[in-house]
Amino acid sequence: MPRKTKEQAKLTTKEKGEKKKTTTTKKTEATKKKTSTAKKTTTKTATTKTTKKKNTNTRKKTTTKKAPKKQIEIVEYYDLPYRYNQTIVKVLAQTPTHLFIYWDISDEDRKNFEKQYGENFFHTTKPILMVYNDTMGYQFEVEINDFANSWYLHVPDSKCNYRIELGRRPITKNEKLNVDYVYISTSNEIESPNDKILFDHNQKMVYFRDVKTGAQTEKSLPKLSFIRNMGKIYNIYDFYQTIYQNENVGKIFDASNPTS
Amino acid sequence: MQEKKGYVSFVLHAHLPFIHHPESDDYLEESWLYEAISETYLPLLINFQKLVAEGVNFRITMSMTPPLLSMLDNKLLQRKYIKYLKKLIELSKKEIKRTAGDERLNKLSHYYFDRYSNDLHLFQDVYKCNLIEAFKHFQDIGVLEIITCGATHGYFPILYVNEKTVKAQIAVGVQTYERYFGRKPRGIWLPECGYVPEADKYLKEFGIDYIITESHGILYANPTPVYGTFAPIVSPEGVIAFGRDIESSRQVWSSIDGYPGDFNYREFYRDIGYEADYDYIKPYIAHNGVRVHTGIKYYRITGKTEFKDYYNVQWAKDSAEKQAGHFLDSRTNQIHHLSQYMDTPPIVLCPYDAELYGHWWYEGPYWLYILFKKIYYDDCNFELITPSEYIDQYPNMQIASPCRSSWGANGYSEVWLNPSNDYVHRHLHVAGDRMCELANLYPKAKGLQKKALNQCARELLLAQSSDWLFIITNGTMVDYAKKRIKDHIGRFTKLYEQIKQNHIDEDFLKDISKKDCVFPDIDYKIYL
Repeated sequence: MPRKTKEQAKLTTKEKGEKKKTTTTKKTEATKKKTSTAKKTTTKTATTKTTKKKNTNTRKKTTTKKAPKKQIEIVEYYDLPYRYNQTIVKVLAQTPTHLFIYWDISDEDRKNFEKQYGENFFHTTKPILMVYNDTMGYQFEVEINDFANSWYLHVPDSKCNYRIELGRRPITKNEKLNVDYVYISTSNEIESPNDKILFDHNQKMVYFRDVKTGAQTEKSLPKLSFIRNMGKIYNIYDFYQTIYQNENVGKIFDASNPTS
Repeated sequence: MQEKKGYVSFVLHAHLPFIHHPESDDYLEESWLYEAISETYLPLLINFQKLVAEGVNFRITMSMTPPLLSMLDNKLLQRKYIKYLKKLIELSKKEIKRTAGDERLNKLSHYYFDRYSNDLHLFQDVYKCNLIEAFKHFQDIGVLEIITCGATHGYFPILYVNEKTVKAQIAVGVQTYERYFGRKPRGIWLPECGYVPEADKYLKEFGIDYIITESHGILYANPTPVYGTFAPIVSPEGVIAFGRDIESSRQVWSSIDGYPGDFNYREFYRDIGYEADYDYIKPYIAHNGVRVHTGIKYYRITGKTEFKDYYNVQWAKDSAEKQAGHFLDSRTNQIHHLSQYMDTPPIVLCPYDAELYGHWWYEGPYWLYILFKKIYYDDCNFELITPSEYIDQYPNMQIASPCRSSWGANGYSEVWLNPSNDYVHRHLHVAGDRMCELANLYPKAKGLQKKALNQCARELLLAQSSDWLFIITNGTMVDYAKKRIKDHIGRFTKLYEQIKQNHIDEDFLKDISKKDCVFPDIDYKIYL
């Protein structure tokens, strides 16, 4: 691939509207020396259509000098793009009761909304997240703001399926915007982790599988020897309390871990 | 002779992120590998060898992650390690002269000189720079079970938004293992013990029998496992899960009363790299003149005081022996209690970071050696076992789905997803989606295009290392971690665009392929 000239490189940079920045981590003499003597470089960073401001201090690293093939030194500068210009909502579980949501609306979709609901659509409406708990069948709404592109949410129930909808509510209605709610996009669905021992007092049977043969067997809970020995209805707290007689068993089950 | 009533299974997780900078000598982070070789991997090998030579029958399990294997196999890093050792030997020689007036200190200088000289001899002459083969030997003779890990330690509970990226982590983890050990792994250490049931089908697809989870991965499973963490469970999809034992973990790990805090043990934070006269130490610290650890440390923990006493090798050994005895007694009691309540012999699973042993807890490998000897010679009620052996002997296990969990602080995803690092996930997800898009667009690529697609897969995997997120949360070396994410996402995206525009810059590809030379056999079609 032919190397870009300085002018071409500038043009590419402008076209892409990308932020260029020198590598920030290695501020050693060696780096400084390297950047100032760089013979050749690839000037196009990887980002597409970012809307972030350009760094006014952008330094061009390209020269048109031809260097012998062996001495080619690729000097790289990358920064993460501000956005990917796609309409997207993603939800992740940070803890059993905290979800992390990030989102974006593509320029094209923004224009379509403005076309449909008026050019001030994003000023006459406010963004919301609709939280759906599909396991327990409830939903609730959280007002967010247009300065954010991600959010942490507390949810009441662990071990449930959640899905998040990004939408907008009109602040004031008008002829074009005569609805209560405008749907934008829906997230993936996740199950939030479990955070407790799942007691099931109705459970009478325990199922076993022989992983060598695949044979499945069942045993009734009261027949399991440790339950017989304990002489009470199966309860894992009791089990651990028996083993750790001098410990605070509640503390053992708080899932906090000394490693990290 | 006591009847054997149960089992203890040690699992050491050996992992370092892939750090390889042929372009510069300035990256301090490369020394993480050298420190781990000298302080953890060689001492473990030395102690395994001693046990074998003494006829001690022991069992241990280690996960050796693909990035670690790739670095141990890397010729440049091997050369750089030798250079690192030679400098340390040179420094310890100077130290012998410098400390001539102080008998105790001088003894320690000699100790370091001997130790690093021995490292060099072992690495070069005995192991011929091939530590993978050295570990493989112990697997081949049946005392060590090596398991694999996700390709670059990508954290499944966040990556699984795009399941193909989890599949690729597993696939490359298994392939890398086969490349080095000549067989398939039976177990996998899920990166950060991050479990999601969505990964089960891929684990099965690639022949994985078992995983290790944090304690609540088992305790909060559905339905509740009747034996807690003291027996493995099998998921409906057929993946067997062993859970970490709470009591033994705490004995070793606890920052307050854990074993590594013994006052006779070596103080990690007092290093001549920080304390010696600047002009004297300058050739042995960072190239840019920043003081760093050298590995020569003269003090013991001493107590909760700033006034530290000199390290005494014999005292430290005495403490390790005492603590090995304590651990043995604790497990004996634990297993005695447990076995009364269980139909099958209990297994107490003790998973730890391998680098805790030796690097953080300097005396850790010696403690293991003494403990294994005691277990073998003392009349105790348990034996050491590997998870595979336990499965083979006791294949009947309860069916339950492990709980989504990790071994990070508070047990879920907070370490890898919090306000300090949450900005990263959007980029990792987009790059993952784009990698799948590329694989689908060009399923029959050849030549340069194929090379570029394979490099894309490497860049994506490297960006996904949970280490970068952890480092950002932890607050040390943050700039490096952030740069690595930017570099890999940057290189990936640039190649992604070049491939789509059918305009691949060969020099650029060559350059980044040299830098990010992990997984030479990778096939981008794993993303199909």
